[in-house]
Amino acid sequence: MSASHTVQGLETYILFTVAGTTYALPSRDVRHMEMLEGVTRVPNAPPFVDGVVFSRGQVVPVVNLRVRFGFERAPYDLRTRLIVVQSAGRVIGLVVDSAREFVNIPPTAIQPPHEALAGMSGRYVEGVASVGERLILTLDLSRILKFAENLSMDLSS
Amino acid sequence: MTVDNGNPFSDFLDDYFAECDDHLMGVRRLLLTLESSVGRSEINRSALDELFRHFHSLKGISGMVELRAAEDLAHSLEDYLRALRQREATLTAQGVDALFDGAQILEQVIGARRDGTQPPSIDGAVAQIRRVLIDAAADRAAAAPSADTLSTAATARATQPRWRCTFSPSADLVARGVRVDSVRKRLATAGEILNAVPRVTRDGAVMFEFELAAALDEATLAAWRADGIIAEPMGDAEMSDAGNGRATPAGLPELLPSIDAEPGQAGGVSPSHFVRVDLTRLDELMRNVGDLVISRARLSETLGRLERRIPSAEWRAIQENAVAIDRQLRTLREGIMRVRLVPVGEIFRRMPFVVRDLARETGKRVRLELQGQSTEIDKFLIERMMDPVLHLVRNAVSHGIETAEERIAAGKRPEGTIVLSAATAGDLVRIEVADDGRGVDADAVVARATEAGLPVPQGTLDASHLLSLLCAPGFSTRDESDRASGRGVGMGVVQAAVEELSGSLSLETTPGAGTRFTLELPVTLAITDALIATVGGETFAVPQGAVREVMEVPASGLLQVERNEMTPYRGGALPIVRLGRLFGLPDSTRERLHVFVVGTGAAALGIAVDRIVGQREIVVRAIADALVRVEGISGATDLGDGNVVLILDPAVLARHMRERPDRVFAATGASR
Repeated sequence: MSASHTVQGLETYILFTVAGTTYALPSRDVRHMEMLEGVTRVPNAPPFVDGVVFSRGQVVPVVNLRVRFGFERAPYDLRTRLIVVQSAGRVIGLVVDSAREFVNIPPTAIQPPHEALAGMSGRYVEGVASVGERLILTLDLSRILKFAENLSMDLSS
Repeated sequence: MTVDNGNPFSDFLDDYFAECDDHLMGVRRLLLTLESSVGRSEINRSALDELFRHFHSLKGISGMVELRAAEDLAHSLEDYLRALRQREATLTAQGVDALFDGAQILEQVIGARRDGTQPPSIDGAVAQIRRVLIDAAADRAAAAPSADTLSTAATARATQPRWRCTFSPSADLVARGVRVDSVRKRLATAGEILNAVPRVTRDGAVMFEFELAAALDEATLAAWRADGIIAEPMGDAEMSDAGNGRATPAGLPELLPSIDAEPGQAGGVSPSHFVRVDLTRLDELMRNVGDLVISRARLSETLGRLERRIPSAEWRAIQENAVAIDRQLRTLREGIMRVRLVPVGEIFRRMPFVVRDLARETGKRVRLELQGQSTEIDKFLIERMMDPVLHLVRNAVSHGIETAEERIAAGKRPEGTIVLSAATAGDLVRIEVADDGRGVDADAVVARATEAGLPVPQGTLDASHLLSLLCAPGFSTRDESDRASGRGVGMGVVQAAVEELSGSLSLETTPGAGTRFTLELPVTLAITDALIATVGGETFAVPQGAVREVMEVPASGLLQVERNEMTPYRGGALPIVRLGRLFGLPDSTRERLHVFVVGTGAAALGIAVDRIVGQREIVVRAIADALVRVEGISGATDLGDGNVVLILDPAVLARHMRERPDRVFAATGASR
């Protein structure tokens, strides 16, 4: 499970939006962010994978979080960002609608998600944090990246 | 032999620079050897002699290209070595420093000529040598009052008769191994070459003229004559203006590019077994082979159209030839690939020099150990690995190894050790730079990263976290003024360079005990030739080695056999897989399809694409993540625009077709 459970003190998060909701990922999991261009489609990859890009010389899969969370795929625009994350030795790019902020969130400000929060991204949400006026969903990267159930590496899928 | 292009001398200069590199490499190595002789009564004679020869050659060839500063400096360095050889001077620490500094300036002078930049002044270095010689003379005068003064070279010049030796290369001589460089070596053994110029005779032939100070006997003269070297005694009047104004720099003969390489560490192997090849020429050769492959494909396409109009016996003969050409083409290509493999020692060899300089600058005591220098790696990779490895070695000296005092206080030997090693592990070459220094100070790294505004993970950092901080842009553990380690590039550049080549960089460090950086690079297939194909608006690369044949078939000519498509092929039928359909891409509207044939006999399969757009050398990068590792795709490459181009794995496609042919066409647009 995510290491951020065990960390004491403030943790820096990167905030981003997907389909109107603000999410957060611990910045320790984030390698860097970049504009998204020139994604190469990969035939027969899972539907939520837009393709691959080179990021610092490495071939990185591009996961569309809109699709992953069950929303409609939206065309990329100027605010679309690729957040390149690393987890358990993997490096993966996440397509989000926009991303621009770092915030510090004390662990005490993060509550477990409500039972009622059965939204589309529910199964990936680790906690709910209130920062100022805003409600932010913190994500469990390892769950987002757990693709085994969706993987189909077969040409005839 | 042409005099037509803008710089007829440039080919010759290329060879000059290449030869200088070799000599300078030898100089560095030997200076390190020689340094250990300081203060001893007996100097390492063979190192001294070899060093002398290197400077001597540098002087000679620099004279030939009329690079006077290099010639004069090499001459001055040679003077000191001659004094040492003749025991007119003893090897002092100042002397070694003068040699090192002189060699460095010499390298810069030559480098400046190559880059067309302003060369540094040689005056300081020459003066330094002169001081050492004067000191030596003074010492000698003190020891033996009657001894003569310095300038041994001057006496040698004055006392030995001078000869003008001319050498006219010819095909016969070249066949016997007599070339201008071997001639130069012979002359240099006999005496001192004072001047050397290439000349073009009236009828356009090239000859070389050497001015030699030597005592020559009749037997030598006769032997030389037999090898096309004519030596004539010179009168006083004509001395020492050779090479001024009279030489006509013109296109130099074909034999020059084959100047012998001197393989520094190859003991016992005759240098004449080596030929220097410019990598760009090898690439050109590779491209030519690629063009041949494409021509061959076109030819077979044309032949295919003629098949039914030619009597079958004759058709078979043509076909046999075609197959033979195929096979020979492949052998040729593989042979060229093998030529590209070079020992990794090539980048190791200059490291002792770097370490020595840096240790001297930082006042540390460092020993460098080299291991696995014969490990082979593609030339393409080695050139790009030079800077990263250099950087890691510099880092090890300036950040890893402590000062002698610190080491003693920590209970270590005062001399630090850096081990630079290379080894092959499967398809990878592993290069390691390990030191027994202080290790990476995690707290200092975190403090520095925080100061630089980098996001720092909380808690205990493991080595991979440390590495990613060290490689983060804007990170450097020392002041900018510490030019030794970084020259402003930083670890980020090292990591980028390694990743660029599909390699990986890792770090192990133990506080107080040392640090080890490991570079892992693919040794084989990192570069391969590929055909570039488009289908349904997407571009793919197909490794050329897997492709047996390329042909064009009309889409309407495909035969439907149950659920498979076939095309007539070499008297039988070839199953065709339409790549577009397999990959769920828009179907082509083209009437003619391009087909790659992969596999042989019953396993042969045609893969149909819209178009084959070209052939080129590609750098193969792995697709590591399971999410995008799909059957039939073996890797990815970049064709220059930064976008990913997927590389097909024809073997897997063919196997898939064989095992589950009925399911192939079920794959339509599944991925979106």
